[in-house]
Amino acid sequence: MAVAARGRLGRNRLYLAGLSPAAFLLALFFVGPALWAIGSSFTNRALVGLDAANPRFVGLDNYARLFSDPDFGRVILNSVIFVIGSAIIGQFVLGLLLALLLDYAQRRGFLATSLVYAAVLLAWVNPTIIAGFLWVAMFDFYNGSLNAGLHVVGAPPVNWLGQGPMLAVIIANTWRGTAFTMLIFLGALRTIPSDIYEAARVDGASAFRRFWDHTLPILRPIAALTLLSVTMATFGTFILIQTLTNGGPAFQTEVIALYAFHEAFQNHAVGYGSTISVVMLALNLAFAVVFLRWSRARA
Amino acid sequence: MDEVVRQIITRRRFLQLSAVSAVAVACSPSAVSSPSSAGSAPAGSSPAGGSGGAPSGGAVTGTINVSYPDEAGLKPKYVEQAAAAVKAQFPGADVKIDLQKVGDDDFYTKLLLALDSGTGPDVFHVGGSSIGELADASYVEPLDNYVSQWADWSQYPDSVRTGVTYKGSVWAIPYGLDMRWLYYRKDDLQKAGLAADWQPANVQGILDAATAVKNANETNVIPYALYAGPAGSSGTADHAFVPLLWAYGGELQDSSGKWIGDSPATKKVMAYYQKAYNGLSPKEILTSTKPWTAMREKLGNGQLALLFEGGWVYGGWASANKAATEQNVGYVLHPTENGGPSFTVGGPGTCWYISSRSTNKQGAWEFIKAMNTAEIVGKLNAEDPHPVARTDAADIPEFKSDPYLVASTAALAKAKFTAPDPGYSKVIEAIQKATARVAAGELGPDDAAKRYTDDLTQALGADKVTSQ
Repeated sequence: MAVAARGRLGRNRLYLAGLSPAAFLLALFFVGPALWAIGSSFTNRALVGLDAANPRFVGLDNYARLFSDPDFGRVILNSVIFVIGSAIIGQFVLGLLLALLLDYAQRRGFLATSLVYAAVLLAWVNPTIIAGFLWVAMFDFYNGSLNAGLHVVGAPPVNWLGQGPMLAVIIANTWRGTAFTMLIFLGALRTIPSDIYEAARVDGASAFRRFWDHTLPILRPIAALTLLSVTMATFGTFILIQTLTNGGPAFQTEVIALYAFHEAFQNHAVGYGSTISVVMLALNLAFAVVFLRWSRARA
Repeated sequence: MDEVVRQIITRRRFLQLSAVSAVAVACSPSAVSSPSSAGSAPAGSSPAGGSGGAPSGGAVTGTINVSYPDEAGLKPKYVEQAAAAVKAQFPGADVKIDLQKVGDDDFYTKLLLALDSGTGPDVFHVGGSSIGELADASYVEPLDNYVSQWADWSQYPDSVRTGVTYKGSVWAIPYGLDMRWLYYRKDDLQKAGLAADWQPANVQGILDAATAVKNANETNVIPYALYAGPAGSSGTADHAFVPLLWAYGGELQDSSGKWIGDSPATKKVMAYYQKAYNGLSPKEILTSTKPWTAMREKLGNGQLALLFEGGWVYGGWASANKAATEQNVGYVLHPTENGGPSFTVGGPGTCWYISSRSTNKQGAWEFIKAMNTAEIVGKLNAEDPHPVARTDAADIPEFKSDPYLVASTAALAKAKFTAPDPGYSKVIEAIQKATARVAAGELGPDDAAKRYTDDLTQALGADKVTSQ
């Protein structure tokens, strides 16, 4: 048994050596902080006050507090709406549609294709904080472009971020993130040989049937991975929302990552903030398991 | 003669404050020549030495790291002046200045992260309301041994000293005190049919004036700005909720130090918020980044009629256009529910602290002394209008000749202060949540007041919260 194990280790030595730099970096920058957060979620660690001088082990107190926190349900609901709105409907579906359109246009050599491609990409290459401020410049009540436009046509200004805060942040995040999904789907679509479609066309299949029977099954494994990464990234988004509404008005756009940030760095309650991020990590893991199972089952 | 009296007072004060430093008492301020001769000190503090005026040649060496935030750009020249004075007095010392052009909240978070990781500057500049939580975290050095040998300390009145005293020790040196005014635009109020020397008879009078401005339908004039929610930062508490609570006869804490959640006064404040956010105060306050920037600007140019704000805000308007500001901006104290004596909200303002982990505390103290001469304190507060913390600083001509500064200083006699309690920052957060809920129309006044108790309990623990 031991010999067999040693033999296997020997055979895989090169493979393990190649894997270890990545494993080391992951351990350093992901597993380490995650373990630290789990550890500190059982303490009353704070950045200031008595708890900063003498952090204590408090067992499950933080978790008990979180699950009786009347705001937490609201925060989870906001996160779910934000993820469904901006990740699944927005980035994923819109990104897929854009990719199909661009692929169609490219295969026919339409002139404006590269311009559209560049425009979508531009939104994505901006750092998030700049994307955030761009949308602040659009939505701002007093000096924003949207209200300036309304002023030109003689309409009264609209309090965009106050009346539809969740819709506003969903639009901004969709605008920012759609390019990523589009890029991936575009790459996948290019791997589909044209003769499949030609054969289908000869058989008299409609455009929808060609998409449903041929394109979609080929895209499915990629789609599962894209959905996973977009969902997780969106679940962890907070810079964009922080810039636009900072969670307001009155918790209407407070998502879980922002709540963790606010508790840890605004309220200086690091232990409680860690607890929220541990719950977030657990939810992300659950997403990952579901999506990966789904993609394997169909592959 | 004066000098002798001052020394006796200093000694007595010192005895009160630190029981152990018997040796230090024997050394009069001018006799101290080196830090080590100051004798034993309370645990955690280093011996103080050096003193007013006389260079104690070579007593201070090495680098002194100074860190402070400034967005307005008024402080750097005085900080540099103080740094130059320290370097001139102690040729072996160097002063490194880290000016952070960020808001106070961001600076504070950055500073806490640095202090938490065991780094950070020797001397820094943050709000006096943080004294309790910084001292409890052991981030800052008690200054009793330093001030006891500082002749100038006698210039700080007892009320000011109390404001920076927590658990029996002095923790920070204030220079400009906070006070607040209810500002109003005379032009906007007159167009709404009110007097130029408007004076609200009671709290309802503020809402009545705002309603009159609203009904006057002036284009581009916001009737009233009442800070609410987390976006309003500490202004949601100090410029809005707290004065209203006091106006309605409520208190933040009861006599045993428990924080008061739901109470008749809290409900009245929430009802006031509901009325204000029913078309008088803009809802954009809840979602704007730093809404006070827009609100201050608008009051300055007549697009906002009523605003309760820090006394220092007047400086921005006056420096832009002094004549127009004096003509159009009126300021009154905060009224109460039934026309009782008006009042203002006071505070120790921004203060200088020494890090407990500093390796150059003596140098840090020398910088604080150089930064807090009567001249610098007077000039800085004349430019960035605050009542001065040391009384002799008010004697400089720039300060004495300004009616606004004189009025602000006089108003301190009617100021109520919040206690330097380490729990206050968590209370502010609960206040932000409660006010946002009413302002956004999510909860009615009574429910919001009840939730305020729940939020306080969540943040501070049931044993520290009560309702009335």
